[in-house]
Amino acid sequence: MSEMWINMGPQHPMTHGLWNLRVRIDGELVLEVDPEMGYLHRGIEKISEDRHYNEVITLMDRTCYVAGMAWENLFILGAEQALHVEPPERAKWIRTLSEEFQRIGSHVMWYAAFVQDIGLMAPFLYGMRDRDLVLDLFQSYTGARMTYEYNRVGGVRNDLPPGFIDRARKVCDWLLDRFQEYDDLCLGSDIFRKRCDGLGVLKAADCVRAGITGPMLRSAGVKRDVRKDRPYNAYDQVEFDVAVADGADVTARYLVRMEELRQSVRIIRQCLDWLERNPGPAMAENLPRWMGAPYAPVGKEGYLLKRNYPKGVGLSAIEEPHGEALAYVVNEGGEHPYRVKLKSPIFTNLSAAKHYLVGYRVADIPPIMGSVDVCVGEVDR
Amino acid sequence: MSTVTLYSVANGLIVAILTGLYSVLPHAYFGWLVNPDLILVLSVLVFGAILLAASMINTIMLIWYERKLLGRFMDRRGAMHVGYAGLLQNFADGIKLFRKNTYKPRDADGLGFYAAPTAYMVTSVMIFAILPASWGWTAGPLPLSLLLALVVFSFAPLFIFLSAWSQANKYSLIGGMRSAAQMIAYEVPILLAVVAVVIVSGTFDLTTIVTMQTNYWFGIPLFVALIVFVTGMLAEMERIPFDLPEAEAELVEGWNTEYGGMLFAFFMLSDYLRALIGSFLVVLLFLGGWTMPGWVPSSLTALPLAALFWFLLKTYIVFGVFVWVRASLPRVRTDQLLRIGWMRMVPLSLLAIVLAALLVLAKCLPVLGCLPGVGG
Repeated sequence: MSEMWINMGPQHPMTHGLWNLRVRIDGELVLEVDPEMGYLHRGIEKISEDRHYNEVITLMDRTCYVAGMAWENLFILGAEQALHVEPPERAKWIRTLSEEFQRIGSHVMWYAAFVQDIGLMAPFLYGMRDRDLVLDLFQSYTGARMTYEYNRVGGVRNDLPPGFIDRARKVCDWLLDRFQEYDDLCLGSDIFRKRCDGLGVLKAADCVRAGITGPMLRSAGVKRDVRKDRPYNAYDQVEFDVAVADGADVTARYLVRMEELRQSVRIIRQCLDWLERNPGPAMAENLPRWMGAPYAPVGKEGYLLKRNYPKGVGLSAIEEPHGEALAYVVNEGGEHPYRVKLKSPIFTNLSAAKHYLVGYRVADIPPIMGSVDVCVGEVDR
Repeated sequence: MSTVTLYSVANGLIVAILTGLYSVLPHAYFGWLVNPDLILVLSVLVFGAILLAASMINTIMLIWYERKLLGRFMDRRGAMHVGYAGLLQNFADGIKLFRKNTYKPRDADGLGFYAAPTAYMVTSVMIFAILPASWGWTAGPLPLSLLLALVVFSFAPLFIFLSAWSQANKYSLIGGMRSAAQMIAYEVPILLAVVAVVIVSGTFDLTTIVTMQTNYWFGIPLFVALIVFVTGMLAEMERIPFDLPEAEAELVEGWNTEYGGMLFAFFMLSDYLRALIGSFLVVLLFLGGWTMPGWVPSSLTALPLAALFWFLLKTYIVFGVFVWVRASLPRVRTDQLLRIGWMRMVPLSLLAIVLAALLVLAKCLPVLGCLPGVGG
């Protein structure tokens, strides 16, 4: 069999979404890769310029449909900076809680997809089953399972429902047990270790050069986490460790994500304790009236009143489940953001594909790409 | 009991019908009805039809069994809606596939594209004519039945590669390559493990091999051979952890990517037929076949088809182990698979042969029976 190009995607089980990995192979050996993104481009940044701030949140949910809450948080932090609004303390804690639940949801989804890529069938369904519990919790306080539309400029839409904290605690206990089960199924399996050890290695220096962030960077031993380095929301008040590993390979990424899941549960428990002790408003009380209304108030003469939005620029960074995400929000005094720019961590991680795919085998591509945790929605935006 | 075979039943049926017809019809014109050649052809056809029906029903039930068992391993219930507990789900699926158009990609080679699934299916069903499921469930006395079954079993890589090549699809080609490499690599340890059984039993006749296991299963003294055989069968059946020819994560559907409708069903059914054959062989060679243990009351063993039922029960338990493996293990990589095959399995099977030879030298097996009888 001579050298040939094969298209892995855009309709291919490996891609988990809509992108194309063009691979030049010689037999089973990967000689060259060429990721092609853009199949899922929806122009979210441009559409955002034509919407009220609270309406943009709808788009942010769709940016990464697996981690909608994280992207809501990201945008809302930038928008609040641009509009000079400060959310109440309780809203910050609820956002922290939501983001950590979202991290669990996203990582468990990653686990399910990743193990399926290497042929483990049962853990795939275990992952989906446990993610459902997290989605149930989301549903109980946001009303939606994936696209929440929960954050607002100046706080969150509503407070947690009664009984939520007890339920969440139960889910946390259950999840911790399940994480142990996941480890038993994967790390306890010789075949898993054989498949994943030393695969897709990307050392720390290469990661930094390629701009890679998130679990991939931490798996190379770099202790970088926006939650610790530039705390936002309530992350400066909770205790947690940044998960790092040394291998820089697929197993190391697995270990990092598993540790992050456990740390997320740790953070959630602290959030739940705080929220139980400190009732209060979940929405800023001194907001101007126009802020909440998506449409401009109509004056006596029937035309739209001009609203005075303060000018400002917001730049927020959060540790999204997939890596470091940035939002740049410019407000020029209009009712809509003048410019929204999002930086997706996966886009960078994916663009560096040739650094961690070339030289391995065709059968290694699914586990390696699985360990990158691709969510095409936020790659293409 | 052992003189009545499935073929003789079919033969008797045909003879009865034809002579009956002949007796009421004018002899002058219908002498050809009792022509022995015609009787032979019709008997073979009826025998084949019975085999096909039995193996197909068994295969479809096997798929149901796998789906339910896999569902339980995955903390769900499996098919539930068509028929009681989803028993008819696979029939519904089969009808759906049957009604679909079969299409051929423009660049595919027609002959290979259509011939390969047919040949794959035919050779898989053929083995059922060779393997005895119980007393007399064969075409007749076959002194080399084990050898013949293994020969027919090993045709598969040829047809898989033929279909993979004729599809004009890169994924299929890679899958076909993998499949051929894997099946050929694992033929060797399987055959060597079988050699161990043959050394101990001294025959290639499966019926004799089974009757020799009345006192103890060959799987107990030949434990190493059993392990090698089961592992090799997993690879031959292309099931997880050795399912890389159809590793859907990277190769879409492997060597049958371009097939749809009934042609796909042919491959799917043949895969399960081969899984069934693999389980059959494990039971026949190592787990005592249809011989029943001594503690089963004779009122039960005397029942008609009791031996067949016992045999199928064992087969399904063995297949359940395969499903269990599938539910809990990830897939290995091609190079790792081949390394396991050549570096681990072949030496192990050689060890099994040595062990078998030592057992025979020690005159423990099979006639003297110095091993304690452990029942069927």
